[in-house]
Amino acid sequence: MQNSDIDLVNIQFQLNGKPIRLSVRPFDSALAVIRDEIGLTGTKEGCGIGECGACTILVDGKAITACLMLAPQLDGREVQTIEGVAEGDTLHPVQQALLAHGAVQCGFCTPGMVMSAKGLLEANSHPTREEIADALAGNLCRCTGYVQIVDAIEELAGSPRANEAVKR
Amino acid sequence: MSLGVVRSQAIGTSIERRGTRARLRGDTHFAADLNIAGVVTAVVLRSDRPHALIREFDPAAAKSTPGYLGVFTWRDIPGRNRFGIINKDQELLVERKVRCVGDPVALVVAETEEAAQRALSKIRVVYEDLPAVFDPEEALTDAAPRIHEKGNLLGRRVVRRGSPEEALKHSDVVVERTYTTSFVEHAYLEPDAGLAYIDHNDILVVHASTQNPHYDQKDVADLLGLPEDRVRIIQEATGGGFGSKLDLNVQGFVGLAAFLVQRPVRMVYSREEAFLATAKRHPLKIRYKSGANRDGRLTAVDVTIIGDTGAYASYGLAVTSRAAVHATGPYEVPNVSVEAIFAYTNNPMAGAMRGFGVPQMAFAHESQMDLLAAELGLSPLEIRRRNALRIGSQTATGQYLTASVGIGATLDAVASRWEEARVEKQSTRAFVRRGVGIASMIYGIGNTGMQNPSTAQVELGRDGFVTLYSGAADIGQGSSTVLVQIAAEALGLKPDAIRSVIADTAHTTSAGATSASRQTYISGNAVLDAATKLHNVILTEAAMMLKADRGDLELRDGSVFLRSDPGKGVSFKDIAERASRTGLPLKWQGYFDPDTTPLDPETGQGRPYATYAFATHVAEVEVDSLSGEVRVLKVTAAHDVGRAINPLNVQGQIYSGVAMGLGLALMEEFHPGVTESLKDYHIATAADMPAVIPIIVEDPEPTGPFGAKGVGEPALIPTAPAIANAVADALSARVYNLPMNLERVLKAGISVRSAEKEKSCQGY
Repeated sequence: MQNSDIDLVNIQFQLNGKPIRLSVRPFDSALAVIRDEIGLTGTKEGCGIGECGACTILVDGKAITACLMLAPQLDGREVQTIEGVAEGDTLHPVQQALLAHGAVQCGFCTPGMVMSAKGLLEANSHPTREEIADALAGNLCRCTGYVQIVDAIEELAGSPRANEAVKR
Repeated sequence: MSLGVVRSQAIGTSIERRGTRARLRGDTHFAADLNIAGVVTAVVLRSDRPHALIREFDPAAAKSTPGYLGVFTWRDIPGRNRFGIINKDQELLVERKVRCVGDPVALVVAETEEAAQRALSKIRVVYEDLPAVFDPEEALTDAAPRIHEKGNLLGRRVVRRGSPEEALKHSDVVVERTYTTSFVEHAYLEPDAGLAYIDHNDILVVHASTQNPHYDQKDVADLLGLPEDRVRIIQEATGGGFGSKLDLNVQGFVGLAAFLVQRPVRMVYSREEAFLATAKRHPLKIRYKSGANRDGRLTAVDVTIIGDTGAYASYGLAVTSRAAVHATGPYEVPNVSVEAIFAYTNNPMAGAMRGFGVPQMAFAHESQMDLLAAELGLSPLEIRRRNALRIGSQTATGQYLTASVGIGATLDAVASRWEEARVEKQSTRAFVRRGVGIASMIYGIGNTGMQNPSTAQVELGRDGFVTLYSGAADIGQGSSTVLVQIAAEALGLKPDAIRSVIADTAHTTSAGATSASRQTYISGNAVLDAATKLHNVILTEAAMMLKADRGDLELRDGSVFLRSDPGKGVSFKDIAERASRTGLPLKWQGYFDPDTTPLDPETGQGRPYATYAFATHVAEVEVDSLSGEVRVLKVTAAHDVGRAINPLNVQGQIYSGVAMGLGLALMEEFHPGVTESLKDYHIATAADMPAVIPIIVEDPEPTGPFGAKGVGEPALIPTAPAIANAVADALSARVYNLPMNLERVLKAGISVRSAEKEKSCQGY
């Protein structure tokens, strides 16, 4: 709406392994574009100011809060959202670990949590418990108390599957 | 008639929570994720004044906004502009005056959110400010501005038993202190959201993030002047609630807007709006006097509780009652005087929040127990043991406890950690002190002294599959999974073999609210009742088909087998087909309402709950006496849940409660008019969490489904008082106000440090 008087920005990027071309308004957030334009609603908005981490995505492998990133900054990047994490019916090791530990309650923080954990393991495949808690400290959760989440990632990090988690 | 033998291992197993895989994949739709062709957006114009009359309202300038569809006020509400779960004192859109910042003045509908916000910004409102009151005690004085026509008193509850004044006079020790707690924000991760439309049958459908779909249906129907069956509420995946989503938040607005513009309408609160417009935890001021004798036994308590319910009641009366009833904690107290008085103020509305006032009361009664222990020279563990309720005890309301009183068992369960921690607690760092604290709690399951039934249906379909229908909203705590486990156990099925239909008013009957830790016990019993009836019918049919004695039959994995001839059996599918030919119904309804009595209004005596959960936490902390920083190192948390239907879920609730309790203890404080969002309101993060050792104690409740009680709220209650007692242990000085932020801890610490300094100077 009312886009006629705004100069749109053309961007292209890789989203979950597929090329995307879009025209976005310069002030649109990456989160708004992912949810409203592209229609991938797995990435959640919990605060809009980068405090809660529910909108965490991976940009060039790094965990980013999509609400604080402008959509034009996606140009030329490799972007992964929660929808790109599992392979068909097979859950990613991070997802499997969270499932096995009962680490999901309401599930609203879960996509962001998965992305942050995945980002951590890509940077450091064998983090300590403290490193895991620090890496996830930007992802708020009000249901689980985090213990089962950190347990899950710690167990995964200590297992041979950690390398597999990195590969994917 | 006896039931058949069941071979199932559904109870006590940590099966996967329903819907987890979809949540992990990002496939689960929360209300904000829903989309529908032609959907438009509604936003609310809210008051920026705490108490004011609306003198002028001029929406003219908004109408030229591109995409504008309408601005609506209370005059456009076709039904009764009043709602509220207990007291109908809220207006969906205020008529004459606003009573708090955030009060809804007008509803703006436009093609997009941006257009709606633009239109909203052009509405002109002229207010005439009224004197406002923000303190509940002041609100109850004659000079205070009147917030509601009926006055500023929300309600008063008393519990009286024995002769407390006399007993205190003759007690060996008496301790009196005053405790305060703050407004606390629920901070569920999913801001409130909903979507409404009118379907092909002319039924208003509201998809909402809610804890209470059947209540929503009633209030939305009333607001719109519709019969209840013309409104359908569908609970979407709900991203936490903790009590706040028991209130009507967006449901009324999207319902009204869809009704008026005849288009699908969505509304999604920003985090700021969720902070501004939804309920908070009641701040309480608790004056607590307790007495004990040299033998360590409590003689009497005398407690006055002042509560601030803000501008509206919400669940305020339930909190008043529950705070009063739980004032004595999990202890035998022969002489009791409790008075709880709750008042309206121009603060934000306070409502239900995980524990309904009990977490605040536990902070007071558990601090008192440690103070008494110190006076008597007893250890904090020992004084609790000497006073703990047991079978045969009478509670403060005169109720005899006859079974499942696991408080003693939870004390035993943490005892070894308590002793070890006391030995280990020496700190090696200068100015950093270690402390260990213990705290216990009692929590009555279900609503206080009133009916709060649940219903459910269990159906055997012609295809041989069983479907569970329950109105119980699962907001992440896992009730849907637990209810399926209960049905599975009763029917000898694997939980995976049961389909479920949950929290849709078109397909389920009321299970009551997801509150008061009641869904496992109350809805679990309703499900068990329904499943038992179906079990009976299946058995009767199978006996006929197999020409066997009922006593010789066994239900296993969707078939009924002869125990004497295990090769011989008949499948549920065959039974269903036969029953459908003969016209035998295969959908059975279950019902359960806990055995309670109303409390006497003069004395508070009665049987408010049918069963109670108990817990004890031990907290180990490190306090930096220079900065006031408290680091919680470990919490050992023992919970008597009756029976853990899903142990992993129970552990999840315990971890969850510890995190929320840590926030309540150390960091969470909502300042009305100041706190706006997560930037200035902090909840515990993964990095703040201590090691948590959950201990599940199972003292089975005879009236519970397979012995189960509940754990949702109990999980939170002992944490803050255990931390408070640990901080007091570390500093040798106590903080009487929650949260124990840096400033308060520092202040408490300074008094000790100056005393020490004096002492060390004397040494030279």
